[in-house]
Amino acid sequence: MTAESLTLLLVAAPGAAFVILGMLWLLGVGLSERLLANLTKALYLLLALVACALFWQMWRGGLTTVRVSAGDWFSVARYHFPLALLIDRLSLPLVGVTVVLAGVVGAFSVRYLHRDPGFFRFFLLQYLFTFGALLVFTADSLDLLLCGWELVGITSVLLIGFFQNRPDPVRNAQRVFGIYRIADLGLLLAVFLAHHWFHTASWHGFFSGEWPGHVNQLDGAAASVVAVLLVFAASGKSAQGPFCGWLVRAMEGPTPSSAVFYGAISVHAGAYLLLRIEPLLHASWVATSLVIFIGLTTASLGTLVHRTCADAKTSLAYAAQTQLGLIFAEIGFGWTTFAVVHLVSHAVLRTLQFLRSPSMLRDYHRVHAAAGGQIDPTGEQYDSLLPKSVQVALYRMALGRGFYDAILDRFIVLPAIALARLLGVFESHPERRSPPAAEPTAPPPSVSAIP
Amino acid sequence: MSLLAAPYLSLGIGALLAGAVSSLFAARPRPLAAGAALAAFTSFALAAREVAVAGHERLFDPLCSCFEADALDAVPMAFFAALTLLVILLAPRRDAGGKSMAGLLLLAAATQTAYGAANLGVLAVGWWLTGLPFALRLFGEDRSRRSVLIILCLSSLALTASIFLMHGVEMQEIAHASRLSFGLVVLAVALRKGLFPLHGWMVRQFDHGPLLPVALLFNGHLGALLVARSEAVALTQAEQHILDLLGIAALATALITSIRSFAESRPRRLLGLLCLSQASFILAGIATANAEGVAGALLHWLVVAAASTGLIAIVRVLEVRVSGTAAPDGHLGLAVKAPRLATFFLICGLALVGLPGTLGYCAEDLIFHGALENHPWLGLALPVATAFNAINLLRIYSLLFLGVLPKRVIDIPDALPRERWPLAACVVFLLAGGLMPGRILEWRRMAAEEATLVPGDGETGNGHRVPN
Repeated sequence: MTAESLTLLLVAAPGAAFVILGMLWLLGVGLSERLLANLTKALYLLLALVACALFWQMWRGGLTTVRVSAGDWFSVARYHFPLALLIDRLSLPLVGVTVVLAGVVGAFSVRYLHRDPGFFRFFLLQYLFTFGALLVFTADSLDLLLCGWELVGITSVLLIGFFQNRPDPVRNAQRVFGIYRIADLGLLLAVFLAHHWFHTASWHGFFSGEWPGHVNQLDGAAASVVAVLLVFAASGKSAQGPFCGWLVRAMEGPTPSSAVFYGAISVHAGAYLLLRIEPLLHASWVATSLVIFIGLTTASLGTLVHRTCADAKTSLAYAAQTQLGLIFAEIGFGWTTFAVVHLVSHAVLRTLQFLRSPSMLRDYHRVHAAAGGQIDPTGEQYDSLLPKSVQVALYRMALGRGFYDAILDRFIVLPAIALARLLGVFESHPERRSPPAAEPTAPPPSVSAIP
Repeated sequence: MSLLAAPYLSLGIGALLAGAVSSLFAARPRPLAAGAALAAFTSFALAAREVAVAGHERLFDPLCSCFEADALDAVPMAFFAALTLLVILLAPRRDAGGKSMAGLLLLAAATQTAYGAANLGVLAVGWWLTGLPFALRLFGEDRSRRSVLIILCLSSLALTASIFLMHGVEMQEIAHASRLSFGLVVLAVALRKGLFPLHGWMVRQFDHGPLLPVALLFNGHLGALLVARSEAVALTQAEQHILDLLGIAALATALITSIRSFAESRPRRLLGLLCLSQASFILAGIATANAEGVAGALLHWLVVAAASTGLIAIVRVLEVRVSGTAAPDGHLGLAVKAPRLATFFLICGLALVGLPGTLGYCAEDLIFHGALENHPWLGLALPVATAFNAINLLRIYSLLFLGVLPKRVIDIPDALPRERWPLAACVVFLLAGGLMPGRILEWRRMAAEEATLVPGDGETGNGHRVPN
């Protein structure tokens, strides 16, 4: 098979699995746990083999870039939506990481979610997520990247609310989705404005040459606006800067999904986007400064809050946020290769930590016992060098998690709801205060009346 | 004057009327109504096929020359007939009485009359008749009936007055209409579509009215049809400006109703605002008068119709099964008992708000491009409205399907086979259409071309409209 067909197979396989299994289930066909587990293992094994074959073909043929064009998705008059994929030295490592880590998490989940009522749902969402993530990393244009981006977002939210019969996961899933949508607006607007101003949203329209040595072709204030909007979107996906509060809420999902989304792949999509648009970023001092500022402030806040977290997953979430902040700063400073290495190694390490977090206490006791009970509970901390009053203030801020939720509620959520209520004047009507529902509904107490 | 091979339009509308009359007296009205809707769908689908072959030509009904099918209305006619069938099949047993079925078929017949109208006079007749089932109390008595009747009458009155002022009933007369006359057409559209600040009646109808008839009334999109028809004739500069204002009103409606939803917690009102916001995209797209915007709007018309009908039907099905869904105290957690209904709801909803991979995404992508081309700053309101609508969709979904199942809900059935297949058809249309949108865009291509061409020497036009 050629590198082009391997790329297509790699991206399309999880999407096809999702569509076929989903439609079968909707029409009443059930699948056993065993069959689904075997299917999952076979799918990820296939994807890993395809990724290896792709790497081998590129290495053997001395190819640094593979571009695949599958024609237009749709076209009207002069507007075309090209379905074009790109594998290069940036996307290949991330594709490899996605396939391997999603496969590992899939295999782990077969046992972890054994007999869970949402077993089937989890794997369906994982297929969709894999498809979305592969689309993000292989998209040859911002348009196609947006498609994968949104799919990753919605699967992430549905997995946060996986335990749907508990109130907290549902509430947190809603909040995370809200933040995602606001952040994704940056990407959406960037895509449309890029089309409007530059008549292109493809990478080869933005840049000439190959990654990492590609050169920016856009200039002026318009390019700066697009870059800033993309930084905004990347910050949302990677829980940075103004969007740093959602990651800890996302820990409500099952541990394997936390590992694959918030340890391994999803949170790194933002960093990937910044790496992809690096020359555009560096052409604008506003965007560059913003990335560095966002990265460093989030890393500082993350490391501070991480120290006061009482549970393993929350602590890991803030640790991940800290590392992502550092990766953002590295990209801002132009240390591209270092950022890629940091990104990949962080994804692998964090996945391991997340997957081991349910048995963390047991692991600790085992190590403690093996060391003959000689492990120091804590080491010397640099923050102990600070004055006492500063330590107390920082401790308070860390306990309040930077007061992020309070600020968000007070300055964004409440004014938005007040505005929404104000707009209700155009719908004022006499029956407003009376109870709704004119049509007959089931008689209380309702027990299932078959209609 | 070219004719259809058979009187498909008369037959389709006749089947709906005959079905309406016989449903009133039938012991088992649903099969009869479904048969009539199926017959109508077959007729309109055959007409649509002939129109697709004929290209830009208008094909008149051989039996009644006041009906015609062309690129703009043929597909919506077949689609609306399919929606009527869908609604009849999905109606819970308590909504499937003789009067309700007759009302649905009468509403469908009136809407199809407006679609198939060969001139403005017949269109106005169809426009008036859509209020008839409500006037005859076929859907029972409810608090919103009076408001829907008032608005439908006012809107019909505005359209009729405009036709009188034009001194003619041909569609081309719009091109020579006075400013007052064209203003009345726009007022009729704004009232009918529920554009800001006249959207309150539609929200109230969703909140208090009979949901399934509301689905048909809402998805007629007669306002969009009239605007698209106006676009197809050579409008004067002043009329273009009025249409631009209508487009801006549609953008405002999309944004304001999406923001308004944040203060709502009742599923019906949330759903009403969501549907209204997304449906405003259609008018906003058509008003752009450029190829991308119009093609996207005509595609979005189908998306809104399929997705909102699915959503409304599911909400109604749940209302019948579980008490307290109209104004729930908290989350209802129904996904545990009805996972398939939850999945259908989510897919229809995500398609409505334009999730990539669904047909809604392709439609919105085109509309955004079209809107940005005409109004670079106002066009940005559409992505913002979509983002807010997606948040509100998840709020309705969470409210109905997620959370702790109330103790009173011991057991409810998931999607019954009668519900499963129609909903699956909706989902397949939205997903398969999203994966291969070219085919569906092709259905609407000719209509989009007609709306963006300026009639020149001949009737078919010979040049592109100059963007404003």
